[in-house]
Amino acid sequence: MQEISIYVHIPFCERKCNYCAFASFCGTQEQIENYIDVLCREIEKRKCDKLVKTIYIGGGTPSILNEEQIERIVKTIYQNFNVDKSAEFTIEANPNSITENLLKKWKELRVNRVSIGVQSLCDKSLKKIGRLHDKKTAIEKIKLTRKYFDNVSADLIVGLENETGKDLCKNAKALLELGIKHISCYLLEIYENTKIYQMIKMGQYRPLDDDTTIESFNKLANYLIDSGMERYEISNFCYPGYESKHNLNYWKRGEYLGFGLGAHSFENEERYYNLANFADYEQEKRKTEHLTDKEKIEEIIMLGLRCKIGVNLDKILSMGYDLQENEYYKDYIKQGILIEKDKNVYLNQTFYHISNTIISNLLP
Amino acid sequence: MKDLTRIRNFCIIAHIDHGKSTLADRLIEFTGTVSKRDMQEQILDSMELEREKGITIKLAPTRLVYDYNGTEYILNLIDTPGHVDFTYEVSRSLAACEGALLLVDASQGVEAQTLANTYLALDSNLEIVPVINKIDLPSARVGEVKQEIEDVIGLDTENCPCISAKDGINIEDVLKSIVEKIPAPKGSENEKLKCLIFDSHYDNFKGAICLVRVFDGTVKAGDKILMMQTGKVFDVTEVGIFVPTTKQTDSLSAGDVGYIAASIKTISDVKVGDTVTSFENPIEMPLAGYKTVQPVVFCGIFPVDGAKYGELKDSLEKLKLNDASLQFSPENSTALGYGFRCGFLGLLHLEIITERLEREFDLDIITTAPSVSYNVYKTNGDMLEISNPSNLPPAVEIERIEEPIVKVNIFTPPEYVGSIMELCQNKRGVYKDLQYLDKNRVELKYVLPLGEIIYDFFDSLKSRTKGYASFDYDMAGFERADLVKVDLLLNGEKCDALSLIVHKDNAYNRGRELTEKLKKIIPRQLFEVPIQACIGGKIIARETISALRKDVLAKCYGGDVTRKRKLLEKQKEGKKRMRKIGSVEIPSEAFMSILKLDEDK
Repeated sequence: MQEISIYVHIPFCERKCNYCAFASFCGTQEQIENYIDVLCREIEKRKCDKLVKTIYIGGGTPSILNEEQIERIVKTIYQNFNVDKSAEFTIEANPNSITENLLKKWKELRVNRVSIGVQSLCDKSLKKIGRLHDKKTAIEKIKLTRKYFDNVSADLIVGLENETGKDLCKNAKALLELGIKHISCYLLEIYENTKIYQMIKMGQYRPLDDDTTIESFNKLANYLIDSGMERYEISNFCYPGYESKHNLNYWKRGEYLGFGLGAHSFENEERYYNLANFADYEQEKRKTEHLTDKEKIEEIIMLGLRCKIGVNLDKILSMGYDLQENEYYKDYIKQGILIEKDKNVYLNQTFYHISNTIISNLLP
Repeated sequence: MKDLTRIRNFCIIAHIDHGKSTLADRLIEFTGTVSKRDMQEQILDSMELEREKGITIKLAPTRLVYDYNGTEYILNLIDTPGHVDFTYEVSRSLAACEGALLLVDASQGVEAQTLANTYLALDSNLEIVPVINKIDLPSARVGEVKQEIEDVIGLDTENCPCISAKDGINIEDVLKSIVEKIPAPKGSENEKLKCLIFDSHYDNFKGAICLVRVFDGTVKAGDKILMMQTGKVFDVTEVGIFVPTTKQTDSLSAGDVGYIAASIKTISDVKVGDTVTSFENPIEMPLAGYKTVQPVVFCGIFPVDGAKYGELKDSLEKLKLNDASLQFSPENSTALGYGFRCGFLGLLHLEIITERLEREFDLDIITTAPSVSYNVYKTNGDMLEISNPSNLPPAVEIERIEEPIVKVNIFTPPEYVGSIMELCQNKRGVYKDLQYLDKNRVELKYVLPLGEIIYDFFDSLKSRTKGYASFDYDMAGFERADLVKVDLLLNGEKCDALSLIVHKDNAYNRGRELTEKLKKIIPRQLFEVPIQACIGGKIIARETISALRKDVLAKCYGGDVTRKRKLLEKQKEGKKRMRKIGSVEIPSEAFMSILKLDEDK
């Protein structure tokens, strides 16, 4: 039976973080209810009989949905899709919106993985980037979540003001001690349409410079690896067996359906996505992209080298691209940037921080 | 029977920016040659580049019809370039005329090029009519400038037209002066055909077009013509005049300025300066023609995409058709692959050719730093002409090197004399003379190495004098100098396209400036890259580009794979303008950067 993943987008937040450049809103209850109506209608319309192996409810902040709201969405999925008994089911949450009742409801709905947007455990940092929680709340809520769930992931941001490698490792240590099994480490990116951009311009915020950011990231990465985790993708670390199956599916170019505002789907080698404003979304406006053979090869290389999957040389050769003949390939092998093993090629993790240059040079 | 007394062939000569093209526009407008509707600023400057830079590069003739006291006169105007690089083209125009308007800016007065062009016109025995322009400017000093023309040039300025080409004031005075003062052409349409080719251009349908001045005889479609210098014979397919676009006519005869098309497919068959005569009934002696100009500035031109070598060659050939002064020969660089070593009349000429290649021929090109041609005497008695620094033999084989030198005339207000002398001193100049032309104007004479002039002399002169000084130069032979080659090493590998020949005393400074500049231009690479400047085996300067640090997409955008892919594709696209030297990738601008070392300071 054909397998598929499901992504559901919840575009609402209690408050927009200062660095956030996404289309997310502080919705009213009425707007949220209305959105869920449209969302559920979309789920029903797009039902299919493929076997659902992973579900991921992301955002935004899915944890601001109350028990009744989340139940409505999840039940709609169960009613219209054939969800595998052992499917991975992740929900994203912000520490301050996590409640015991909500956790119980999620458990009841067969959620088995919670990804918490911790971002930092330094109170000063959290306040400056506009998060609603502090260190104390984060720790309490992680403990609470852990009572109900074994597979809990936490996000950390690298590049925040005054948070260098030492602080990051300290934070990571605390997270691991709380039983976190998976950590995603993202780099702070500054976009023009964000509050933090204005703050930087006015001298109220000073993110780490590039060199320090990468140095700090590498320190954190080494700490996590020394603690027994594996870096299975550029920004993702976990204990053995705790990889996010949902994300791995993206990188393996497995099929997925994205429901909700601006959500992306990939089916039959075709990528399409819902438009990102509500009026268009409600009218079911989508954009489709037919991938050329060259673009398919580009995706395989780009996604494969980002993570431990690597790229199978024979596979892309059969698609018409001989990577070994690329002008950079031999040098990269010689310099230890690429590692070739049994007809598979991998990007040496030491060079993950400059992967864009390397990968772009290897594209057909 | 045509009346030659009703024809005037003239050109306008002036220093750059004194309003030549604007005056040409007004004359065209006044005589109604071009309707107001079709009038666009600076009609004769048809090249996009010419309008943009506000300069005239190519010659563009046009026929004006002027009613003078009830008699219709045909005035053939041949526009000329004003910049120092294009003296050669000026002399081409002059040979086709009987007179010249000498246009002088009422606020600027006599400038270096005013004088240089006047001398050229006098050499060609042209009648010179001074015209004072820009009298509308508040800073105009008509009386003083008239006096300057009389004192410095020795022309009578009594009754000379004082005009504003911009505002269209007193334009008719100019037309009257042309009829009254410039002699009518001599010659006869009954004589054997004798035409001078003063320019040419290529038309995709008609082949090479010859722009000619007919001195004697008549030519029409169907005639068999002989090019006296090349010995080629062609059947004339069309003749015509410029109004200013081409207009076919039945014939061209003595006194006329026009064009001849003869299905000439091979560009090199038309030589500017050649004499056209009748094949059946040729004249015996050709016209004097032009001396072939020697390029003085050289640089390498390479296609960014190596596969476009053939296209680059075709484009250069097309440009050479109406720019005989452009020279090129194949060159091979380890860094840049196959390209051409090109010779130019000066830096502006270089800049114009490279821009035309990019715009008109849609080529992406890399140009290397400009160089002059050195005479290198080897210990074994051989003499080599070296215009590409990477071809310089090893120091032990060199007995001596001679560099081209130029005589420079600089016109400046007196307050800048000190600063200019300092500049010339820095550029290894030798002081020759200083003369007060009047209380506002000094003429300074220096002898300078040409290599220093092409480096950044013009820009420095402009900035030191707030643009008030003008200069002109003449080649003055070769002189021995203590020159060395500075090589550039990137990650230990020599980059031949970045080598340069400099005076020993300047080598350390240039080496340091160059490494600093390259450090700024070359983006960070995967590994640390040392940049070194050396003379022979000796390192004289070093900079280091630290390794690339952060270049990663470390964020999860759900399933938005497309966005990531497009970012990487874009990054790859940017690489196309990069050249690989060993394992180091450098942007194509780096090769020209040597030229602009001082700008940042």
